[in-house]
Amino acid sequence: MKRSNFLIGAVSGLAVVGSTGSLFAQALAQAPLPGLPGGADRVLVIVNFQGGNDGLNTIVPFANPAYYRYRPTLGVAAGDVVRLNDQIGLNPALTPLKALYDSGKVAIVQGVGYPDPVLSHFRGTEIWQTAAPDKYLSTGWLGRYLDDANLPAENLFNAVALSDVLPEVLVSEKVDVPAIQQLQGYGLTSDRNVANRAAFHEFVQDNRVPFNSPYLAHVAEIEDHAQRGAQELPTLVAGYKTDANYPATPFGRSLALAAQIIGSKLGTRVLYVTLGSFDTHTTQKATQDRLLADFANGMTAFYADLAAHGNDGRVLTMTFSEFGRRVGENASRGTDHGTAAPAFLIGGNVKGGLYGSHPSLDDLDNGNLKYNTDFRSIYATVIERWLGRAPSGIIAGSFPTIGALA
Amino acid sequence: MNAPTVAATLSPAPYRPAGSLDLATALAPYSGPWNDRLAGHLLRRAGFGGSPADVARAAGGSMNAAVDALVRFDASALPAGPELADERTSRADVMLLRQQQVGANSDQITMLKKQANQLRAKNRVAAQLWWLDRMITSPAPLQEKLTLFWHGHFTSSWEKGTSTQALVDQNQLFRRSALGNIRDLTLAVSKDPAMLRYLDNTQNVKAHPNENYARELMELFTLGIGNYSEDDVRESARAFTGWSIDRDTGTAAFLPRRHDDGSKTFLGQTGNFDGAAIVAIIFQQPACARWFATKLLSFFVYSDPEPGLVNAVANELRAKNFELAPVMSTLLRSNVFYSERAYRALVKSPAEFVAGAYQLYSIPQAKPIALQAMRRMGQVLFYPPNVKGWDGGIAWLNSQTLLTRENFASGLVNQMNGDSWLGNAMSSLQPNQVAKNLTQTILFGDVAPQSIGQLVAYLGGTGVSALGSLSGENADERVRGAAYLTMAMPAYQLS
Repeated sequence: MKRSNFLIGAVSGLAVVGSTGSLFAQALAQAPLPGLPGGADRVLVIVNFQGGNDGLNTIVPFANPAYYRYRPTLGVAAGDVVRLNDQIGLNPALTPLKALYDSGKVAIVQGVGYPDPVLSHFRGTEIWQTAAPDKYLSTGWLGRYLDDANLPAENLFNAVALSDVLPEVLVSEKVDVPAIQQLQGYGLTSDRNVANRAAFHEFVQDNRVPFNSPYLAHVAEIEDHAQRGAQELPTLVAGYKTDANYPATPFGRSLALAAQIIGSKLGTRVLYVTLGSFDTHTTQKATQDRLLADFANGMTAFYADLAAHGNDGRVLTMTFSEFGRRVGENASRGTDHGTAAPAFLIGGNVKGGLYGSHPSLDDLDNGNLKYNTDFRSIYATVIERWLGRAPSGIIAGSFPTIGALA
Repeated sequence: MNAPTVAATLSPAPYRPAGSLDLATALAPYSGPWNDRLAGHLLRRAGFGGSPADVARAAGGSMNAAVDALVRFDASALPAGPELADERTSRADVMLLRQQQVGANSDQITMLKKQANQLRAKNRVAAQLWWLDRMITSPAPLQEKLTLFWHGHFTSSWEKGTSTQALVDQNQLFRRSALGNIRDLTLAVSKDPAMLRYLDNTQNVKAHPNENYARELMELFTLGIGNYSEDDVRESARAFTGWSIDRDTGTAAFLPRRHDDGSKTFLGQTGNFDGAAIVAIIFQQPACARWFATKLLSFFVYSDPEPGLVNAVANELRAKNFELAPVMSTLLRSNVFYSERAYRALVKSPAEFVAGAYQLYSIPQAKPIALQAMRRMGQVLFYPPNVKGWDGGIAWLNSQTLLTRENFASGLVNQMNGDSWLGNAMSSLQPNQVAKNLTQTILFGDVAPQSIGQLVAYLGGTGVSALGSLSGENADERVRGAAYLTMAMPAYQLS
């Protein structure tokens, strides 16, 4: 392949596409992760519970009579709760997760939120993804991690969003993150490119044009990333086989692809997966039960798959949602937008158990739970103890880490 | 509540063109050669690009005639809005039922809510397609371009339950005021129902002032951080108390009982100010003209404009009492606008990319799939990401947005009919002629010789192509494919 242009410097390593591509990617994967002792090969999977998950019916305070007063029809019966202690337990839809919990692989942080919470999906999501409740930032907190970590610039898969739109959490200044909903159909839909691949690369890389735009080099580079990434990824992950039993849902398919990417050793450090929508204003139970079961079954299959390939120890999963939901149910057997909610940390170096305290049902803020752990404390913990970077370079402000990670 | 502050600057990254500005002649009328390439530049910036016939028409006359045709439009002749169902009625139905039924079955409410949601979703699509079609077909492209500019500047969105009708009304305000007086527009926006809701001024009452609108008015709309104090935010919020919405009609309403008519001290002046007085004082600040000058230059000329150029345009704005028409007229005729430094110096927004592609092939009506594509390209009309609007520039570009652009272009060339300029006529030409025509028509020759060679090879079916040789059977597909490949070149992503 002829590559006569300025991009050679930036992407020199990537002349090795095709048959040698996966070897190259493995070499990347074995490069030590900056900042982490021992050159660990760690991956963070972040799961977005889109739409605002009802925390109160996820981690259920079954011993508190107030809970049943607020939830006359939606309350989970004490006898159905999967008990974690004598006060609280899991929604029975999460039953499959209990085995992972019992093996010490699940930490549940309760009452997670932030001051002056925003009850808008859009802004709430933006706040969780940028880690900035009081600023508009144009990068996400994991995007800033990617910038901070000095990952190999030539790797096209330092992070991958398993979604159809690049989420703000992975918007970075230096690292182009591909967004892939599923492998099939990812990339260019036209066989016009297949027929003309080499020429196409020439087009997108050619800077010998009769004008001089400040954006031209950037456009050409990203366009080249996009096309090469879409072309190479299916080949790079083709060798991965699994017999794990994933749910036949979009979430299950995303997790299966995540395991495939992780197992193919592409040097990927962050993966983003979505589950939802949890926006249960009406008839909440059916929707939330289905999604929580999807989560529990998905996680169980995911970690079984990872374990079968020896990858479970190097993958930490964390969940977030833009907000929890109102304590009192509404007239449509649903719940409206609320505030604090629990977050899950699974796998990796998790020290299993419950962290923080369940938010009080007696001390509400306009019908909403008061948080007791700032979400940025979880981020700081993950950044410091899993990703091996200094939180101060990535999130503004100082937040105490929590004990959920070793 | 405390509104968030803005961390990023207007242009997140310094993507100023290389070379240096000749400030002395920057705003003087351009008198150099006039051709397709510069006419194309003008139509891309002051519109969405136009069709090859539009470009030929603009290039065929003088630069002044081309600009005249853009800046002279009847702003009062507004297009009919989209047909929307009444969202208030469906919401009222839910409320009514909720009041009537006490502990009765909730299924009815659930169903009504679902219907209301479906109706809202339908309205949103209708409004977006309506506006996209306006961009594609309006006889006044600059008016539509400015409507997009103002939408990204005075942001409002569906957030906070704002109805589609309110956003369409606001959109019509932008269209009507496109080239009007910026001070008047700012005041009108301060009374616009969608804005009043989006930035919470409906909750701004004497007893509990809500500072959101007052803050963003200065921080994002008119002055920028550093040009006012927190005291100014508090005092101006008091001035806007009671600027609200009539609950029954949804129109703007002044509610005297909620208004704080005490004395306020704002930007060094003291008086019993209301919102109109606040806007008037803001427009006396030198920073205000500079703010709008920066935004206009970044949108129409190039990113990160030099302070000297900003000051020159700011002076124009002040000299013309913030009337935009004469200032835009000057800008679109200026040396700096036609300079090589400004040429292809902006990244096309998804709206520019999509509307421009439709115009290129004279396809008069966008399909709903265009909205899907725009979402994946990062731009949902009536739904900017936050009050700061779309970051633009470099932020439009990542792997997924560019793949979406290319796939959209590929789908679009399939839609072209035989009597478009790209129709069968071209298929009978020689490959080198077709390649030349395509790169000239789509890119005004902004392409490297090597890429033309690749197109010729593709069209001729030699070497790299798997389609076989150019023949009657696949000539049409080859020409479409080559048009698509031309649109996938980096130059086409740039305006």
